[in-house]
Amino acid sequence: MDCPGKKLDFISRRGFLFQASGGLSGVALAYLLNQEGLLAADPSCLPGAAAIDSPVAPRQPHFAPRAKAVISLFMSGGVSHMDTFDPKPDLDRHHGAPLEGKGEVVVRQGHPGPLMRTPFQFKKYGQSGIDVSEIFPHVAQKVDQIALIRSMYGRSNDHVLAHYELASGMIRMGFPSLGSWVSYGLGTENQNLPAYVVIYDARGGPFGGPANWSAGFMPAAFQGTILRAAGDPIIDLRPPGDLPPEQQRARLDLLAQLNDLDRRRYPGSSELAARISSYELAYRMQGCAPEAVDVGKEPQPVKKLYGLDNPVTAPFGHQCLMARRLVERGVRFVQLYHGGLGQQDTDTWDAHRNVKENHTQHAAEVDKPIAGLLEDLQRAGLLDSTLVIWQSEFGRMPISQRGVGRDHNPGAMTIWMAGAKIQGGQAIGASDEFGYKAAVEPHSVHDLHATILHLLGMDHTKLTYFFGGRHMRLTDVYGDPIRQIIA
Amino acid sequence: MAVAFWGSVCALLAGLGWWAVAARAQQAVSFSRDVLPVLSANCLKCHGDTQLSGLDLRSRAGMLKGGQNGPSVTPGNAEASRLYRRVAGKEKPSMPMDGKLSDAAVATLRSWINQGAAWEGAASVGGPAGASSLAALEEMEIPAEARQYWAFRKPLRPPVPRVKSRDWARHPIDAFLMQVFEQKGLTPAPAAGRATLARRAYLDLIGLPPSPEAVAAFVNDNSPDAWEKLIERLLASPQYGERWGRHWLDVARYADSSGFEHDRDRPTAWRYRDYVIQSFNKDTPYNAFIAEQLAGDELDWTNFDTKIATGFLRAGPRVEFREKDNPQYRFDYLDDMIAATSQGFLGLTVQCARCHNHKFDPIPQKDYYRLQSVFFGYVDVNHYLAPEAEAETFQSKLENIDARIRPLREQLAEIEGPARQRAFVAEAAHRFPEDAQIAVKTPEAQRTPGQQLLANQLFRAVGVPSGALDRQLSAEDRLIRNTLLAQIRELEKQRPAAPPAAIGVTDGDYRFAPDGPGDEPAPGKGIKRDASLQGSFLHKGDGAYAAPPSYFLIRGDAESRGSRMEPGFVTVATYGNPPAALPPSHGRTSGRRRALAAWIASPDNPLAARVMANRIWHHHFGRGIVATPNNFGKMGEAPTHPELLDWLATEFVARGWSVKQMHRLIMTSSAYRMASEFENAASQKADPENRLLWKFRMQRLDAEALRDTMLAVSGKLNREMGGPPVFPKVEPSVVATMKNGIWNIEEDGPKVWRRSVYVYRKRGMPFPMFEVFDLPDQNVSCGGRNVSTVPTQALTLLNNEFVLRQARSYAERVAGEAGPDAGEQAVRAYQVALGREPSESEKRLAVEFLGRQRQFHAARTAESAAPAAAPAAPARGVTEAHLAALADLTHVIYNLNEFVYIR
Repeated sequence: MDCPGKKLDFISRRGFLFQASGGLSGVALAYLLNQEGLLAADPSCLPGAAAIDSPVAPRQPHFAPRAKAVISLFMSGGVSHMDTFDPKPDLDRHHGAPLEGKGEVVVRQGHPGPLMRTPFQFKKYGQSGIDVSEIFPHVAQKVDQIALIRSMYGRSNDHVLAHYELASGMIRMGFPSLGSWVSYGLGTENQNLPAYVVIYDARGGPFGGPANWSAGFMPAAFQGTILRAAGDPIIDLRPPGDLPPEQQRARLDLLAQLNDLDRRRYPGSSELAARISSYELAYRMQGCAPEAVDVGKEPQPVKKLYGLDNPVTAPFGHQCLMARRLVERGVRFVQLYHGGLGQQDTDTWDAHRNVKENHTQHAAEVDKPIAGLLEDLQRAGLLDSTLVIWQSEFGRMPISQRGVGRDHNPGAMTIWMAGAKIQGGQAIGASDEFGYKAAVEPHSVHDLHATILHLLGMDHTKLTYFFGGRHMRLTDVYGDPIRQIIA
Repeated sequence: MAVAFWGSVCALLAGLGWWAVAARAQQAVSFSRDVLPVLSANCLKCHGDTQLSGLDLRSRAGMLKGGQNGPSVTPGNAEASRLYRRVAGKEKPSMPMDGKLSDAAVATLRSWINQGAAWEGAASVGGPAGASSLAALEEMEIPAEARQYWAFRKPLRPPVPRVKSRDWARHPIDAFLMQVFEQKGLTPAPAAGRATLARRAYLDLIGLPPSPEAVAAFVNDNSPDAWEKLIERLLASPQYGERWGRHWLDVARYADSSGFEHDRDRPTAWRYRDYVIQSFNKDTPYNAFIAEQLAGDELDWTNFDTKIATGFLRAGPRVEFREKDNPQYRFDYLDDMIAATSQGFLGLTVQCARCHNHKFDPIPQKDYYRLQSVFFGYVDVNHYLAPEAEAETFQSKLENIDARIRPLREQLAEIEGPARQRAFVAEAAHRFPEDAQIAVKTPEAQRTPGQQLLANQLFRAVGVPSGALDRQLSAEDRLIRNTLLAQIRELEKQRPAAPPAAIGVTDGDYRFAPDGPGDEPAPGKGIKRDASLQGSFLHKGDGAYAAPPSYFLIRGDAESRGSRMEPGFVTVATYGNPPAALPPSHGRTSGRRRALAAWIASPDNPLAARVMANRIWHHHFGRGIVATPNNFGKMGEAPTHPELLDWLATEFVARGWSVKQMHRLIMTSSAYRMASEFENAASQKADPENRLLWKFRMQRLDAEALRDTMLAVSGKLNREMGGPPVFPKVEPSVVATMKNGIWNIEEDGPKVWRRSVYVYRKRGMPFPMFEVFDLPDQNVSCGGRNVSTVPTQALTLLNNEFVLRQARSYAERVAGEAGPDAGEQAVRAYQVALGREPSESEKRLAVEFLGRQRQFHAARTAESAAPAAAPAAPARGVTEAHLAALADLTHVIYNLNEFVYIR
């Protein structure tokens, strides 16, 4: 875990500090010196306090948090709950009959079809005896660590709008995403890395694209940073071509000297000092970001745990392993997407055409990596302080499309959470007998967001950002934390 | 039912406080004692005599029947009962709309429903009378003192204050500032140096830096009006509109794509962008600028440009898919128009009053719906930029062809329909599970209801292999079919080419809008159409156009209609009795938007002139007199200099709403010419944030100006104006995050080295270099951008390929102008980028650096076996090693604090 950032120090580090830090406050100076001590003691990109002028400097939550970091696993395209984590024996009994007595059935595509049983077998797992579908054999083994919420519902049956709702609580663009709110509320532990990172499927981005990790009306500092699984993880992280490191150092040295001459003309300007220190941070990020996502040096058994040895599981396994490494290094919020916009039918969970083929393929891609992630987080002692969320933009219909597929259904979906000392082995709420609507203890996305903020030590009614004449909230004017989760 | 009931109780038992609820559940609830008082006090005013959403809660039958959203009560199952879910906040909109029930009342309703919702006494109970309860919801009294809030009082021209320091404060603006300085003991900064002033004026007015020659000319111009002449030159430059138009485009939430899932290209949106640029260049009076954008289709001076201007109302994001199936989208678009109009022109957040009265400002919800009524007639159109007769000919030809194709398609469907089903059974059904195959093979009359659904889906939604259809048609039918297809093809060829067009709006009837994407009456789309409606999309023929009715929407819920609304304005900001409609003589539009524009752009409107004067001030000084340019309400910032703002507002109107006049006025003040490089301990202590403007505020270049400045300095800026947007290179992995790409990646080169205002604005994918430098969200109106400093900005300027390439061009330019001498090169590089010469220390550092880099590059070139073909040297004696070293220096200059700041 030797971080190249240390080797590439520019000017003499102390020289830089004494030349350039005159514009920083005493606190920031103390921080930088302290960081230096830290780096000298341990040559890695460790988390540490931030310069006070960083917009993502760590901030105190409202109350003692249960988790410090979030890993969000987003299954793009719409996972069918009836075929994964919410078994519906009534579907077997009524297979082939129309769905009746539930009011007008609104479908996304074409006409409603008849009820359709799941093509998969369910089995009870763990001490809790919770039923899980055969397509998630590895995650099923972890069911005693997982809290399922079987009564989630959303507001839109449009992929993009539903993605936005899960991302920001609103079904319109222009609102900050959950990760932005968390970065805004808590800052981040490690200034050498972005606070909020996004790693999407190699097949393409999720429905709705970058608006899913946008900071909306908040400053750019709070938006998600895309980390790429291949090549340099951050765009423009390093100079193109084969510029020797000392060459970049030479430019940065000159820049620091010239900027310092300039700054002396404006001794009162914290803006200029902040900009000078942002080059220091950028320079450290150049070394630390590649190190953070380089899974090459992980031991073989760990790689295997994530399925890196199998071409089916390797891509998402890689994303999950990157997530653990990032959380370990103090990144606050890691958003993973599985399913990307190449071929919508086959590259996402959007199983209109054939739910058996589609979900068999996609579950196989994520099952082992997700179970591996939970296992590895626990092994590393990170599970208790990390919230893992598994979600999708909506559930699917209990009725069929052409006898084989399923249409979108925001009326009911299952999401689950693990880590953060959440009581595992519980299934919260229930959908109706067919899985058409959330029925018992229905929970909106606002409830979900309120719950996540609560676990991170924040009161969703108090985390506000003033914009457009209002104290905006992630949860608008709604939402209650889910009591079984925060209990 | 019993199962569901126990299920819900069990779930409750799992939670905290289960015993309290369980205990209550045990206790029998009495309707008359416990439930009726809750209903009477909270529910019946809207769901009694007035049956909002069609819901009548005065009887058990009414509860079971429910309203537009289905049954309200399912006896025995509170969790499944909307009445409970709404009062418990489990379903939106939560009820009652004007408050919240106590926990005890919610528990009572829950228990009562779970116990079977037994009703006692009269079958129907009374409730308050309808009209008065509706009025109670809709009417809000505006307190008399609300008008006394500074922003709602008409600006009165205040006298210019008499101050002691007449020397500094010869200009009225300065007198207003000085008055405050004297009160607070602040010392204003001295005047900035001429070179600094030249760079400031250039970057401020045209967003580009001055050439070294322009700086020298100004520095050496000893005439008393040298500054005024400089301002005039810049205001006359076409680049002025590109800079100040861009500011307005932020307010107008302008983009080139529609947003949301499809994020479709808006191929003619740029015409609105060009209209804005040209309006600033022409100095269109601001009151006309308002009218054109709100009502350019119904003015006395309507022309192509004013029609393009209505693109303002179209500029927001739209779903553009299955709009007719989702009527609520239209209410969101109306909200977008109201938000952009009220924030943009009035500095008010009227959109906050969509669901309730404004929480902070005296804006009743009814004002929102009266404004909505102003816009309610809007329909999206392509305004053809051709003589009316030509456009009409085009339109009628189009309709004629459609009308001829329609019966042919119907005939085709008649022939193909049954054959398609046979073809499916014969050649496609085998790919589906057995029950599906059985369903389609079973004769229709014998299918079970489920089989009927399945067969219906399969027949309608699954294609059949090519040729399969033919095999099921008789020879005669095949012939007819082929003839029909040929006729359709022939007609399609006759479709006329459309004249150039611009997206905009006019009045019409949205209920007759042509189908958009996803709206096609394809099988099973389930679009709700009201067949009884009579009318047309656009008003034709005799008589005056009448807008479709609009209503007060309770809690903003499209399903909960209150009274019918008539157009009106923001009451608290209205003086006199301005007309709510000014119908144009042609009778095709309502004239409501024109009346709105007249009300806004009137000297009697307390907000319009103040808001625009403040925007101009904001961009000159980096902070408005009101620091929240889009919000003059209570939650905005109070003005630092209210009298000055009023003086500027009245001056603005007096000077014919001329924006250029305001630039002249402001820039000739001492205030504008103060130095930013100025320290004063007492002032710093009294006003550490420099809110009172005792020195000039440094301002970081915005994203566009930064890129433009790099291009100008490198000498590579392509100054071509207007037209379709360009697509500078974007990292392919970023493009891959968007569905269908859409970003047409063009080669990095002169074609895309246009000014940044011409870079494609894609809602779903902001141009990364702009985004990292605080591009505002492109979906809502933005009055002032965030300025943040983050490491990714440093990474962009250090490593981005475009930046490096421009640094190289900048080096070539400098070498060409300065020759091989390192000292000369350093001086020229500073002059070109910063408008000044380097100091001795700066020059020494630069020259030393060049020396080291020349050695490095010379050694490197010697090392490589086959040196790359050296580019033509820009000047005698300049080697490739010189150029490479100089490019390292120019790259550093691009990163300097001084480079990215207006000083």
